Amino acid sequence: MADVLGLVWAGIISGCLYAMGAIGIVLIYKSSMVVNFAHGNLAGLAAFLVFGFTAGTLGNMAWGAAVVLSLAIMVAAMALTYLVISPLVFKSDLTSTISTLGVGLVVQGLTQMVFGPDVVSLDLPLPAWRVDLGGLRISAYDLTVLGVTALVIGALYLLIERTRVGIAFRAVSANPFASRVCGLSLRRVHLFSWIVAGVLGLIASLLIVPTTFLSSTSVSSFMLQAFAAAVVGGFTSLPGAVIGGIFVGVLMNLLSFYVAAEFTNTYMLAIILLVLNLFPKGVLAVRGGARV
Amino acid sequence: MSESATIAAPLERSASGLALPRNLSWPALLIALALVVLPLVAGGYWVFTLGICFANAIAILGVSFLVRYGGEVSIGHGVFAAAGAYVVALAEKYLGLSVLLSLPLAALTGALLGMLFAYPSRNISGIYLAVATMALALALPEVLLYFSGVTGGYEGLYVKRDALPGVPRELQRYYLPLAGLVAVVVLLRHFRGSRQAMALLLIRTSAPAAESFGVRRSWARLACMALSAMIAAVGGALLSFSSTTVSPNSFTLWTSIFLLVGSVVSLYSLSLIGSLVGGLFLTLVPLLLAGAGNWVPILYGGALLAVVLGANALPAAWRKRLGGGQS
Repeated sequence: MADVLGLVWAGIISGCLYAMGAIGIVLIYKSSMVVNFAHGNLAGLAAFLVFGFTAGTLGNMAWGAAVVLSLAIMVAAMALTYLVISPLVFKSDLTSTISTLGVGLVVQGLTQMVFGPDVVSLDLPLPAWRVDLGGLRISAYDLTVLGVTALVIGALYLLIERTRVGIAFRAVSANPFASRVCGLSLRRVHLFSWIVAGVLGLIASLLIVPTTFLSSTSVSSFMLQAFAAAVVGGFTSLPGAVIGGIFVGVLMNLLSFYVAAEFTNTYMLAIILLVLNLFPKGVLAVRGGARV
Repeated sequence: MSESATIAAPLERSASGLALPRNLSWPALLIALALVVLPLVAGGYWVFTLGICFANAIAILGVSFLVRYGGEVSIGHGVFAAAGAYVVALAEKYLGLSVLLSLPLAALTGALLGMLFAYPSRNISGIYLAVATMALALALPEVLLYFSGVTGGYEGLYVKRDALPGVPRELQRYYLPLAGLVAVVVLLRHFRGSRQAMALLLIRTSAPAAESFGVRRSWARLACMALSAMIAAVGGALLSFSSTTVSPNSFTLWTSIFLLVGSVVSLYSLSLIGSLVGGLFLTLVPLLLAGAGNWVPILYGGALLAVVLGANALPAAWRKRLGGGQS
């Protein structure tokens, strides 16, 4: 029993990070109808930048400075990515989705070229504190992840519900044509969602590193979990992405403990196919009725 | 509507052209003839490389078919190619069949796999298909390694048996993929005029119109994936024959993404020349850049972006002539 509890707890923790990745993918898809396949590569690059700035490959800074600098580079990179594919965005969703793969390839190549193909270890500056609560081990890392996730999702909620740019985002994702008629700049809203997604990707990839390891491919395969979470949530729902992330995190932990650990990606495939069969519009859509 | 008219245009042109049957065009015929006589003058290295290039070109045709007729993108076609390749290798290992006999089996396996895989997302948007194909591509190496007793694990399997007894081995590994490529292109040309192709193109252009004619979207999705996966499986089967080996390393997520890059570089063309351009790009770039491994993804990504953005920047009339994908 204690096993199950521990596994579920660990699943929730990594699920929070999958959720953060998934929110980025959903944000971009909702505003610009592009599936950003470069998300994993960009987030991986971000984690590597932090590593490079703290561990000496690119510099030797304090953690705070390294994170802020990487954040700035990430914002620039996301803006640049959007700029590169922007001529395609209103022409064809298919072509722009394909072009994100091109961006992903370039980013992947750059990461390998600058940081090499080796696996590196990146330790977060967290206290080595842990507590035992009736068989449930809670470490400082777990609490950090939960806290950061709550903070990020809370901030995102306020941003989307309360600010002008958030209202614009909701308007554009509901009806781009009507928003344009009202004088909203679609490009600006797209840029907003791409940049927010990039920031979320950076946070998620930094926090996932202690549980896995950092190599030029590990973070991009972590993003498959984020994609699966987005599919479980219905791909257009932000709360769905959060629920999907936690669902995927918990299920993955249980499956790899009780069935076999070497099938991570196969479980993802099975989850995606099963969810598409049972809830084609995502798990949250079941409650909503259709308007005739 | 304009889109299906676009794709129809080259057919009409060649139909009103010279005395050739309408399934053929002069430049393609000349290139095919040149490729047939090429082994007489070129060295063994080029013959080997081109054989692999033809097999890649077939797999690229599979991806292009899905983009053209289905309007969907797949980043998992490496899996269907792997299915074809492993069917050939396993048929040789356990049944002692040569590639000519196992090729239909590989095609059938590919088609079934494609259908099975498209079934869950048959009614919904293509983005789900794309994401699911990504998961499929990532899952494949795990499955292959787990069943290493059958699949040979990391080392993979060998394809050694000759297809045609009496013909030198290098020439077989050149001519068989070439024949396969020409056959697939001719069949695709023929398919273009069929009722089924019309129905697929109609549903891509306007789903409501197609449904009012009784063409179901789920049928279109399944049919597209089955045919496209079948073509990719044939490509994979011939690839295993001409490279003589199959291993999980040759079918990773990157393989699938590279196949898509090849398809984009060929402008999603279903012609002989287009697919050859894609196949050559895919096969030759890593060889030319053998010393600089990290440049390969950058170059592939850059080429993909350049082609996509370049085709988009062309004037609308040119774009129509090229007829590349959804413009």
